Order: sequence, then C-alpha cells, then structure tokens
Amino acid sequence: MFASVRSATLLGVRGLRVDVEVHSGIGLPGFTVVGQPDEVCRESRDRVRAAFLSCGLAWPTRRITVNLAPTGDRKSGACLDLAIAVGLLATQELVPIEILSQFAFVAELGLDGSLRPVRGATPLVLATTDRRTVVAVENLSEASAASTANVFAAKTLLDVVECLCGRAVWQVSQPTNDQNANTQIVRDLADVQGQPAARQALEISAAGSHHLLLVGPPGAGKTMLAERLVGLLPPLNDQQAISATMIHSSVQTEFLNNGLIRSAPYRAPHHSSSMVAMVGGGTALMRPGEISLASHGVLFLDELGEFAPSVLDALRQPLEQGVVRLARARTSVVIPAEFLLVAASNPCPCGEGTPGACTCDDAARARYLRRFSGPLLDRFDLRVAVCRPNTNELISPISGESTSVVAKRVATARNLAFSRFGCTNSALTRQQLDVVAPLSKKAEQLLRKELESGRLTGRGYHRVRRVARTIADLAGAPDVIDEPHLHLALMLRVDLASGLRTRELIF
Amino acid sequence: MVSQIRQFVLSKDQIAAASLAALPKIGPKRLMTLLKHHDPQTAWAVVQGRAKPSESVAAMLRTEGLITLLRHRATQELQDQIARRCKSAGMKIAIFGDADYPRALTGDLAPPAVLFYLGDLSALDNRRVAMIGTRNATASGRYLASHIAYDLATNNVCIISGLARGIDAWSHRGAMRALELESNADQLNKIARPVGVVASGLDVIYPREHAQLWQDIAQHGALLSESAPGSPPEAFRFPLRNRILAALSEVLVVVESRTTGGSMITVDEAQKRDVTILAVPGSPRNVASNGTNLLIQQGCLPIIGAQDVLVALGLDHRRASENIYDPRPRLSAGDQDLVSTMAGSPFTLDEFVVRTNLATIEAAVSLGRLEAMGWVIGNSGWWEVIEVRQPRG
Repeated sequence: MFASVRSATLLGVRGLRVDVEVHSGIGLPGFTVVGQPDEVCRESRDRVRAAFLSCGLAWPTRRITVNLAPTGDRKSGACLDLAIAVGLLATQELVPIEILSQFAFVAELGLDGSLRPVRGATPLVLATTDRRTVVAVENLSEASAASTANVFAAKTLLDVVECLCGRAVWQVSQPTNDQNANTQIVRDLADVQGQPAARQALEISAAGSHHLLLVGPPGAGKTMLAERLVGLLPPLNDQQAISATMIHSSVQTEFLNNGLIRSAPYRAPHHSSSMVAMVGGGTALMRPGEISLASHGVLFLDELGEFAPSVLDALRQPLEQGVVRLARARTSVVIPAEFLLVAASNPCPCGEGTPGACTCDDAARARYLRRFSGPLLDRFDLRVAVCRPNTNELISPISGESTSVVAKRVATARNLAFSRFGCTNSALTRQQLDVVAPLSKKAEQLLRKELESGRLTGRGYHRVRRVARTIADLAGAPDVIDEPHLHLALMLRVDLASGLRTRELIF
Repeated sequence: MVSQIRQFVLSKDQIAAASLAALPKIGPKRLMTLLKHHDPQTAWAVVQGRAKPSESVAAMLRTEGLITLLRHRATQELQDQIARRCKSAGMKIAIFGDADYPRALTGDLAPPAVLFYLGDLSALDNRRVAMIGTRNATASGRYLASHIAYDLATNNVCIISGLARGIDAWSHRGAMRALELESNADQLNKIARPVGVVASGLDVIYPREHAQLWQDIAQHGALLSESAPGSPPEAFRFPLRNRILAALSEVLVVVESRTTGGSMITVDEAQKRDVTILAVPGSPRNVASNGTNLLIQQGCLPIIGAQDVLVALGLDHRRASENIYDPRPRLSAGDQDLVSTMAGSPFTLDEFVVRTNLATIEAAVSLGRLEAMGWVIGNSGWWEVIEVRQPRG
C-alpha cells in the first residue's frame, strides 16, 4: 500500500513543502525513513509508534518505508510526525486515502498521541496554503492569522482520525481583533528628564529610520533612550507583520497566542553574542539571528565596543541590503534583516568623555576608538553625545513630551517620506535625494564649507542630506532644505575621533 | 575729488603701454626695452609696423616669428578692450619713469616697465615688510602670520604680500584687522595700509575665495600687478610677481615654508637685492616649517614676534602694542549672551539647549554660527568656548 501526505519543514524563515510518501509492503517488519531526515526527524519513528499504541491503533507488522520528497533537501525537526502517522493510517485504510490530497499536516506527536505545537507555524502554514492544514491547538491562532487558507486543529491523533473519517468536526480558530494583539509594554518617552537634543535625535531616527549611536558616560540614560525609540515607530503594516511573525515564529514555539506581531520588535542582545546568534544560521534549519528578529523594529547594541569586531562587521551587509544572505555547503537562505540599529557606547575607556574630566591618555583613547571600524561608524547617520542630566533636570516636575505625542509627528513625517518614493528617508538614493532634498543657497554654502574643510566625507555628505530631509519633514518644511536643518543634522553627527584632529580656530 | 576724476582718465600713453603689456611674448624685459627706446605710443606703432624701431628694439624684434605675431595681435581692438577693462575696474597705470611710479622700484634690478594698480600707492611710503609663506600652512602658522601682520601694521609698517592662500592671506587679514579695529580717526593715519602684489590681471581674482580680501585691500590699501587686465593666473607669472614682492620689501618675513616652492623663489630674489630675510622657526617635525628652519640653519635670523621685525627695521620696538589681538568677528549681543552663559566648562548640545532655553534646531544654528566665527570649538560632541582675552582682574 502507498500513501502520500503533504507536510512542510522549516528552512530559515520559510516553509519548505514536503511530500511524505509512506509505503507499506511485504517483508521483515521494519520502519525506515529516507530522504535526508536529520536526527530529530529520524526519531519520529519511535514517537509515531508510541502514539499509535497509546491511541489504541494497530501498528502494522509490515515493512514500512517513509520517503521525504523532494529528497534533495535536508529535512529537520519534528513537524513531519503527524504527516507520517496519517500516511501510515492511510496505508492501513484507517483513514480515507482519497481525501488526503486536500490536507496538509504540520504537528509534532507526543508519546501519548497528543499533537504538539511546532516552531515556525506561520511559515509552515504559508507553504501549504493550497490545502487545508492541520496543526496542533496551540498553533491554531498563529497559523490562522497568517494564512488565508483553512487551518484546522486537533488535540490528539485519535481526533485527527475521527475528523478525517467525518465522525467529528475540526477545531477552528475564533476570529480575534488582532490590531490589539501582541502589543508590548511601551515605555513612555515622558520618563526621560531633560536631554532635549537626545530626544530630538530619537524622533529623527524614528521618522527617517536613521541608525543612531549614543555616546556618553555611564548613567547618562543611553539604554533608557534606546528602549523608548521602539515606541515611536508606527505599528507594522500587514506585509511587515507577516514577515516579522514568520521570523519570530521560526525560533519560538508558543508566544503568539493572538495572531500576528503588530508592533515594532525590540531586541537587545548581550555583547557576548556570537556571530551565529547575531546574523543567523548555525543548525541545518538556518535559524534567524538577532538582526532578523529585530526586523521592522529596533536592534539595540549596548556597549558597542565590547562586541566582537567580527560580529559588528558582519552587520554591514545586512545594514546596506535589508536582508542577510546565509550560504552553507548544502543550502543558502535569504532572511529579512531590515532593522533600525541603535548602539550605545562610552566615549573612552574611563567612560567620562568630557574634555578635561577624562583620565585616559591619547593612546588608550585611540585604541578604544579602533574597535569601531570606520565603515560601521559611517553607517550611523546620527551620532549623538549624551551627558548625565543635572540635578535640576532630574528633580524637575516638568516632564517632556510623551511617546504618543511624538509618535504622531513621527507618523506624519514617515507618511510624507513614503508618499515620495515609497521608502524612508534613510533609504533614498543619491538621485532621489537630488529630487526631494534640494538645498537652499545658504545650506549649499554650509555643506560646501564642511566638505572643503574635510570634516565631511563624500559619503557623509549624502547621509547628512538624508538626515536634514527628515529634520525638515518633522519641522513641517517638505520642500527645500534650509540652513537650520542642515546645522542640526551636522550637530547630530559627532565625529568620535575628532579629539585627534580638532576643528580649527579662526585667527 | 577733481584729482580723483582726472586720475581715472587714462592718457593715450598709458593705454598704449597697457596694450603693449597685454601682447603675447612681451615679458617684463622686452617691454622695458621697448619703452626705454620709444615713448609708449611710438612703441605701439613699432609693434604694429607703422614706425621704424630703434636699433636695439629692431634687434629684439628679429627673434623668429615675433614680429609677425605682434603685428597680428597689436590691433586697435586690443587697445580698446584694454582701455575698457581698465576703466571698468577703475585701474590706474604707472609707467616706469612717471611721477607716480613707486620709488621703491625705480632702483631695482628688474623693475616692471608698466604697473597696474588699484587703490593708493602712498601706502608704499611707509616702512615696508613683505610676509610670505606656504599656501598649506598649519593653524598656528596662520595665527602667527596674522598676529605679526597686525602688530606691524599698528606700528605703521606696511605689510606686503601676495594674496595667495595660507600665510599670504592671513598676513593680509591681520593687517586689515588693524585698520578695522582702530575706531579713532586720528589714530587711523598711524596704521599702515596693506599692499598686495598679484600675478594675474587685477580684474582676474585668484584664488576665487579671496574676492572679499582682494576688494578690501584695493579699497583700503593698494593692489599691484604687472600683468595686463584679463591676464589669467598662469604659472610663469608667479615667480615674476615674487620678484616684485622682494623688490618692494625692506625686510622679508618667511612664516612657514616648505624647502621648495614659491616662497623660496621670493627668498632668492630678496637675496639678490640684499633684503634682510627673517624666518619664523618651527618644529623640525613640521613639514610646513622645513623651509624656514633651513633658512635659519643657513644663517638667516629667526624671529618669534613682531618686535624682532621692528628691531630689524631699526624702529623702536618698545612701543609695540600690548593689546591681546583677537581677530574673530565681534559677537552680536545675543551671541555674547550665549558665549558668557556657556563659558567655563565643556558642554554638550543637550546642555546648551537646556541652559539657553532655545529650541534644539535654533541651538544647533547658534552653535554652528559661533563655531564658524571661532568662538566655540567642538570635540567628539563636546563643545568649549574659546576665550582669547584674559579676564581682567
């Protein structure tokens, strides 16, 4: 007897369609899984057998071969368990073989015959949209939020048999209002006392998706500021929500009980994070890394200088392209990594930074600065010095604007930017810049002076213009970029190494 | 008033001489030969082939192809064009031997036969010091140049320089600053006016960024050139200009210089004329001071300030001003408030905004403006107010 059952397995953040072919024939009783299963996948033999026996189903005493087609790709994980079990049931004619072509099965089996949730329900279900997909109950809400096709759930293997035979009905999800779903607790910007320039930098960063570097002594509130940036970002649109959900889904089993991720994610990996943890890869599954998990949200790297240089430099390509391309001998995957990078660093080893108060010598400072590669620093459009707020600011009863007020301005500026070329200001190309960011005469003179004095590089020139575009958008000047906008853009672009080449006095 | 208007009307002789200077292949030497043997109008007729040249002029004109070229170019059109250019720029012309020709040049080895000038040549009646140096000067070199020039100008010593980038320009700026800072009209007469000697035509501003300085010197001092109006800043004109610099100066001060380059050409010319050469020493590691250090090694006197130059001129150096020279633009009342609020300790943009109560964008503009004027200086996100004047206790 032969049966073919549709299922899917995970690779990167995408589901890979798999046909589980079960053949039961004459021969010595045995059970073989072929078609490049990994260790977990091969172990499904024992799980399926135990589940059969627990449910009181007969285990066939025949020679059973399970083939996972296409055989060229490596299959990983336990999400094929249910499909194998259903295939076996079909060969024994315990379920009608004809209707299997309408179904796909994505679930793990417990030894007691229960259906267990799997990682990556969203991408897996999206790979089988042409069929009715059966998942574990725990995966139901996530899977039905992601997929437009019918998604069914069952509690145990026995339930699956009953439903397939038409003796019971599938469990389906209750529609929920997913706009409010999965919202994180947003920290309010009003908690930040003083620091007007740093707040402005957050606003500009959120409005134009400009990467932000905060430089300041310990206790200056760098982490506090970074945590509040994510609240300024607008909620994700449908496409972004699905993309973010796919990524998060493929590393976590159960967290999405309420459908898609709708608010911008915030990730703050520790500085001991490895390269694989950061960019992804590692197992045959090609697990997405932190940069992908922060997609459409904020990736916060505290103590930037403490990260391994190789890890930091690995960020460069994703920063440019918005995706990370992981290639291994067997496979290669493309995982989205479109994140807003926020980093914090001390200005020097002693952490003080203020001229005169710093106790570091030039050599130590230079050594410290060498940890940040020039190309990486160049990618921070905004580099802001923050200092500890003074006592008056700390105990002042007047608090600054709250997140909701600023987020409204950010949303307006972002919409303005999207209405031009369909991208944020930081993603404008040079040609687009010339069109949307014309400089006033004075502004042009200012930039010319900066370029001539060597304080601005060619690349910096375009970056400053992009930031100035965002500042002008926020200030309600959607046309020409004027001198004040540029001045602010230049002020928010601190040169970390300028201690070694100070700006010149006028004599 | 009347005399001024009369001066603006150029005589036929002057126009003829100017047109001769504008001819190709006619350098200072050939021009001198022409004007030595003929009056300017006859000389013009000679190059046109309408008059008979004197013997030595005829010998000069015998050079291969020269006479054809000159006849081809020496047209009435050229003369009209030169007259027009001189008139529109308000340019005046001094011919060697004329009454208004600078006396400092009459006894020179190779005096320019025709001198175009803007402004007032009486600026040259004071004691004269030429200040020269590299175009690629260090910040301290520029500071020193303007400082010395300022001090010399207040001691009624005329500063002559070449209006190039770097040391030249900052010397001029120091001298100009002395005029600007003196508010007392009586005292103003005791401040020497700057003199610039340029290589290109007086209506061809080079380098472009010195347009303002060019105009200021022409207005308050004198601007000289040997080149006819419209002459581009061609490379061969610069060594010739340097020779005039050397010829005009009693003392030559080299502030910063590489071992080769224009400054060294001026030094050579000065040595031919027995002009005292003074050099500002610098660190042996500083490439910009290699030339001056070399000069000192060869026996030229090192100087550390304007007093040393006054001594070299034989002037009383004890009268040298003790004012601390601050060449930065004066602050408006609002900016003065900002500076005094923030003076004392380093601050960030954040603190600036908090303490001045400005909007962030205005604060950035103010800080940018103060920085451009040199009142604050930025370093890795921290800013400091720069105070030059010592607070008086």
